[in-house]
Amino acid sequence: MSLSNLVKNELIKIFKKKTIYITMVVIFLLLIFMNCMFKYANGGSEYDYYLYNENYINSLRCELETLNPEKSSDVTTYINLLSEIQLSEMMEQHKDAEWKLAIINERIAPYITERNTYQYGAEKNEAQVQEINQEIDALLAKLDENDWKYFAREDLAKAEQQIEELNAQKEQTEDKAVLENLETELDNVQMEKEIAEIRLNKEIPYGTNYLNRAISNLQTANNSLANFKNIEELTYQERLEYNSNLEDQAESRYILETGRDIHNTNTLKGILENFYAQFGIFLIVVVVMIAGTIVSEEFNKGTIKLLLVKPYTRNKILMAKAITTFIMIIFIIVVTLVMQILIGGIIFGFDSLSEPVVAYNFNTNTMEEMNIFANLGVQTLTQLPMIILLATLAFAISTFFNNSTLAITISLLGYMAASIINQLAIGYDLQFMKYFVTMNWDLSIYANGDLPYMEGMSMTMSIIICVVYFLIMMIPTFIVFKKRNIKNI
Amino acid sequence: MVHGKTTTIKLILGLQSITSGKVTINGYDIEKEFTHAIKKVGAIVENPDMYMYLSGYQNLKLVANLYKGITTERIDKVVKLVKLENRIHDKVSKYSLGMRQRLGIAQAILHEPNLLILDEPTNGLDPEGIKEMRELLVDLATKEKMAILISSHNLAELDNFCTKVCIIKNGEVIETSEISEIKKETSQDLQLFEVDDVNRVKNIIRDMIVIDNHRFKINVSKEEVPEMIEKLVENKIKIYEVKQEEKTLEEAFFEKTGGNVIE
Repeated sequence: MSLSNLVKNELIKIFKKKTIYITMVVIFLLLIFMNCMFKYANGGSEYDYYLYNENYINSLRCELETLNPEKSSDVTTYINLLSEIQLSEMMEQHKDAEWKLAIINERIAPYITERNTYQYGAEKNEAQVQEINQEIDALLAKLDENDWKYFAREDLAKAEQQIEELNAQKEQTEDKAVLENLETELDNVQMEKEIAEIRLNKEIPYGTNYLNRAISNLQTANNSLANFKNIEELTYQERLEYNSNLEDQAESRYILETGRDIHNTNTLKGILENFYAQFGIFLIVVVVMIAGTIVSEEFNKGTIKLLLVKPYTRNKILMAKAITTFIMIIFIIVVTLVMQILIGGIIFGFDSLSEPVVAYNFNTNTMEEMNIFANLGVQTLTQLPMIILLATLAFAISTFFNNSTLAITISLLGYMAASIINQLAIGYDLQFMKYFVTMNWDLSIYANGDLPYMEGMSMTMSIIICVVYFLIMMIPTFIVFKKRNIKNI
Repeated sequence: MVHGKTTTIKLILGLQSITSGKVTINGYDIEKEFTHAIKKVGAIVENPDMYMYLSGYQNLKLVANLYKGITTERIDKVVKLVKLENRIHDKVSKYSLGMRQRLGIAQAILHEPNLLILDEPTNGLDPEGIKEMRELLVDLATKEKMAILISSHNLAELDNFCTKVCIIKNGEVIETSEISEIKKETSQDLQLFEVDDVNRVKNIIRDMIVIDNHRFKINVSKEEVPEMIEKLVENKIKIYEVKQEEKTLEEAFFEKTGGNVIE
């Protein structure tokens, strides 16, 4: 008369019902749908700052004609419109290479505005206009030489020269404040030099692809980190910010070093890396559906009497149902994962599975590479407390009130409210919330050694809190089930 | 009608907690030693609620999983016994109430219990179904040697095949004894005579109850009957039939419960 017989029967009952198959088919279709959306989501424009549109430019031209540059009220708008039109036209002529657009956008655009200001603005200066035009022409001539490396070399030379100058200035001054400023400036210039070197060594033309994004992230992170240098003691908020910059910096360096697009979500690996963030809701809906019906359905259909007059104690019967729920959690996770790997593999190809998942580890201060399957294991372990607790909530409510609708609704509401609750708790720095279940049931915040949401939280404490919540829900459920009189059904 | 039939059965089966007194089955207390007490019990409480989305056979298989040593032969035998062999692989949702009732009995006797508890087993069945059910229960009692406890308010039904009754009224046990005992207790010796002319009998015998021109009842014991016949024959009265009139369980019940006041 063992528990396993009861569990076996519970599993038979679940798998003989159509519900589980219908929901799995629906999830299968949703996965296909979502994978297709991921596939086409990134198929849009590559040059995200350049969207030449003839109609739009024409409308700008019409608007321009209505303005009079002689009138002081119109002049600013006139200059802006004219600059935009001239910039667009220039880009249209050089759209053969992305790096040219980047150069035009970053280096020539300011000149155009400046020139127009001298030509039409309040202080007209023909000499300046000529000078700027020469500058622009020189840059355009370089563009036509089709060598982006010229610009990188120029950047490098400029940075080296600046470093020399700054070092010279440093030797001449004794003033602490001035020295500090020079120090910061030197940092920035050194960063620029480094970036120019990286560009040349790794052959990264100007543009907007992930490598260029990494370059700009590296620059931003470096600047932010430099700001923290002079602060003696950081607040918790500042430490969080500092850490996120540290992470950005390490990630950007890793991307530039290896040339790997680690944030690319448009591969099977990229999707699997965020498996629970993307598809967690599917799993939870099915899990909660099973947990919320496994007891109450038997009461509502009257079949519970069949079970209760068998030679098993009520504790054993309820235990079997709880164990079955947990087995189903694992089953649903595995099935959904397998479905996603197959669908994603067919749509994106399986090649990316050999790429490692890379994440910054705050304990070792290095980028750590991990096999995608190991990463899925870690993801699953860190999400399990949440899934189990939501299932337990549905299980408890359905046993208490014999009402599956209520059980499923409340559990799903709990899941959806969790992120809002956490955001508010962190945003308003409500310290007592660190003992609340939603702050602790997602262990992924501890996975890479980053600081937790609030000071004083730790993985051990989170696990203890989850266990306590689990027991708070489970113990009364067993007591109620044991004491319940079977009313007329 | 709340008289406590179903409640009693639920108390016996441990489905409701007992506030006073105790229930023992096969010597085990149902509350303290539940698993031992219930081991040799089969039951249908209220309706024969089965898993509708499973076939009859799958339902029986679920029950078989929960007991040790129930072989497929045993399942087949029970299916044959309740005469479901042709429909056992159909979904229970397609069964008639009678078939569900029989499947309910099949799942209750699968583990060869020595006590079978049935709550209104003939409720909702057609006359043929009732007859079949009665035959099945008599079969089980004689062939499978199990005690069967039936709750019912259909007294004519119980009269037909029960040996012992317990009468509950408004939650209280009024009587527990053999049916034959109850009848003996409540029936007086009532004899029914059919003759050619009742009016002429009036002059010969007193204390008789006239029914119509040809029939009358009289309260005399069996032993006195020959004497009476002799008397009538002497007076040239033609006698067509003399029979002892027995009370039904129903009449006995009303006598016991004091009229048909059922609240």
